[in-house]
Amino acid sequence: MEDKELSPQESLDLIQQMIGKARKRYTDNSFYFLLWGWITIVASLFHYITATYTSFEYPYAGWSLTIVGAILSMVKGNKDGRTAKVHNYTDKMYGWLWLSLGVAMFTIIFNGEFLNWNTVPFILLLAGVGTSVSGAMMNFPPLRIGAIVFWLLALAAFRVDPNQQMLLMAAGVAFGYLVPGYIMKSNAKKNGI
Amino acid sequence: MAFEALDPLLHSQLRLAVMSLLISVESADFVYIKEQTGATAGNLSVQIDKLSTAGYISVEKKFEGKKPKTTCKITSTGVDAFENYVKNIQQYLKP
Repeated sequence: MEDKELSPQESLDLIQQMIGKARKRYTDNSFYFLLWGWITIVASLFHYITATYTSFEYPYAGWSLTIVGAILSMVKGNKDGRTAKVHNYTDKMYGWLWLSLGVAMFTIIFNGEFLNWNTVPFILLLAGVGTSVSGAMMNFPPLRIGAIVFWLLALAAFRVDPNQQMLLMAAGVAFGYLVPGYIMKSNAKKNGI
Repeated sequence: MAFEALDPLLHSQLRLAVMSLLISVESADFVYIKEQTGATAGNLSVQIDKLSTAGYISVEKKFEGKKPKTTCKITSTGVDAFENYVKNIQQYLKP
């Protein structure tokens, strides 16, 4: 590109062309969906199985994996942020959305005793907000479908005991995080990202 | 109606391209701008300096390991100037 004078029409065309280039076409955030999907499935199934079939005293021990998840997410987010050649507003909003939801979810879980440990319906509702908004931001329908699954399971979770809620949690993240996560990963591979 | 004169700082191909890129993102690396505009590093550097001197963009230079990293960001003055430029250019295009 040279430093030449432009006609008004050429100027408008150039503005349009550059704005088009800056618009992000596809984002691969599958890492986070797969990480949190698997952590939640392992922790919730471990919780359900040990509480139902064993006399193990700490069925909730598996949830300590979420601390590992939080650390891995922070490290990856930080690294990606530092090495990115361009910072988009969409990425920024996306990061803040999930960070805010994460804070809300951890607050609910750490205060679970005040809810008689009926935390899962609230977590499912919040996860649905995250996947629905992310799906809209990324124009990615599997996440929006995942959100509907989360909300339907939340309706059911309000009606069962905390132990059975763990099964709904596992089902929720399988459809809401893992399925969209794997589709996103395979799309990213196809698009060479 | 008399036409407003177009901002000479923006009415140039490379500087306008840089501003159009930066208006759509929060911040961008020198390397990214170079790739998207296809400009030479020398020319781009000169034009970025001009935009920065005018207060249209802010430029942050730091080192990442041993590699220099220059990050550009549009300022509110730059956004105003860009909006004004687009408004004025539309006058010229009106039938």
